[in-house]
Amino acid sequence: MTRPEPGPDPAARAGVGDGRASVTTSIDAAGARLVHLEGEVDIANGSAVQSALESALAGSPERVTIDLAGLEFMDSSGLAVLLAIGSEVEELRLRRPTAIVRRIIEVSGLSDVLRVDP
Amino acid sequence: MIARVGKEPELASSASRIQSFFARALRSPALSVVGPLVGPSPRLGYEFTQTGTAPRYAAYAESDLPPARKVSVSPSSAFSDLRFAIYLGDSTGHADLLETNADHLPITGRLAKVTVPFGDRSFTLVASPSGSLGGTLSAWLPWIVAIGGTLLALGATLTTEGLVRRRGRAEHLAIEVGRLYGEQRTIAETLQRALLPDELTTVAGLDIEARYVPGVDGVEIGGDWYDVIPYEDGRILVVVGDVSGRGLGAARVMASLRFAVRAYAEEGEAPGSILSKISRLVNLGRDGHFATVLCALVDVDRRECIVANAGHPAPLLLSAGAGHYLTTVVGPPVGVSSGVDYDSVTCSIPSSATLLIFTDGLIERRGESIDVGLERLVTMAVGAPSGSLDSLLTSVVGDMTPDGSNDDVAMLGLRWQR
Repeated sequence: MTRPEPGPDPAARAGVGDGRASVTTSIDAAGARLVHLEGEVDIANGSAVQSALESALAGSPERVTIDLAGLEFMDSSGLAVLLAIGSEVEELRLRRPTAIVRRIIEVSGLSDVLRVDP
Repeated sequence: MIARVGKEPELASSASRIQSFFARALRSPALSVVGPLVGPSPRLGYEFTQTGTAPRYAAYAESDLPPARKVSVSPSSAFSDLRFAIYLGDSTGHADLLETNADHLPITGRLAKVTVPFGDRSFTLVASPSGSLGGTLSAWLPWIVAIGGTLLALGATLTTEGLVRRRGRAEHLAIEVGRLYGEQRTIAETLQRALLPDELTTVAGLDIEARYVPGVDGVEIGGDWYDVIPYEDGRILVVVGDVSGRGLGAARVMASLRFAVRAYAEEGEAPGSILSKISRLVNLGRDGHFATVLCALVDVDRRECIVANAGHPAPLLLSAGAGHYLTTVVGPPVGVSSGVDYDSVTCSIPSSATLLIFTDGLIERRGESIDVGLERLVTMAVGAPSGSLDSLLTSVVGDMTPDGSNDDVAMLGLRWQR
């Protein structure tokens, strides 16, 4: 049985950089802050996405979860963004990666570095 | 003269020197360097000419040299055990001195000297270990070259960064913006190529070819590199690496990793051990960059290759009309976690095989899985017209990135002659 997942608030969704990615925040079932990263992240918009994630994490929460269910594509520049965010917070969890995103994490030897939940 | 910003250029104090410098500089599309300019505030001058369009523009800037050319080095710095002096050009006369941390010149004792191209000139670094460094010079030479290379790259980085900043201001004042892209790309490429080997080592029984193709997105320098380093026992270490991000910071990390790999290779370290050691030199939290690196120690005669992999795409082995990726133990990229031990695997190479080692710019394409790109590379490489290794690399790069890659591409090809 799957429990309903809280999604981002569509009214709060705003395009990042060239508009191919969006970063929104919501509160998960346990009351913790959840960041949704959607769209595509690559070399062209990586630094804009990183800035948007850093803004979304303002107030520096120690534990951060980024939901990747809506992230359709990410290349090594996107990995760099996630690793940079991970180096700025105490604990970073990723969850619900798409197959493309899961695969780039695996082939880059990061399965033991980035904590990925189903 | 369209615009001038900041202090009066030191070069302006000598009309004849201006004339002769610009007469030389305007003929050259590369970075032209003049100096050291002595006066109340000693400086080094640089000039870029925009060629190929009319009207032509030149931008000229100067950067300050330290007072009396003397820099102080923090005792905790990697350079603290080293006396060094950097000169413009290949002479080591006092008139060409840019900066030093030594109290007395010329530096004497056990000396190491390297010259690195910079624009239309070069920098020469003279260094000598100070204090308690033991052993013979030859034992320390790799370290001195490593540190010296990093230092020179750092110097070039800082001066180029300063120049780009100054250009930015002048641009607001006067010059049209659009053409700057090509120009900055040229600066970046100049630096990138200065950091790559001029000539690859030659090895009996093996063809070696390399490619470096700058990405088409953006104008900033990338951090891809390749290297081929001979071992004393006749084996060679081949290295392909990719520092995350772009800009001069990425180039600086690339330079320090490249020289560190060379230093460890000089000491005969194995690939896994090299990756473990260089992983201590980069820290994503501190440097803002990490790197994927593939090291392969190749024994041509025994047809054997010991491969260690830090988050890098696996090499593609082409043999008898088929292609497959070597199975490697993929550890994390260097710089993302501390205290990583990298395992290596030993691969056998069939006769007349070709090995391609490349950065992900070759295979990544927007919107598709990395597996699709890896599969496409096998198809393109196997289907390439038969010919020399050089023509194979040209064909593969052309077919894989027909409109240019967004990211930089570095690639090494090795082909066993029998």
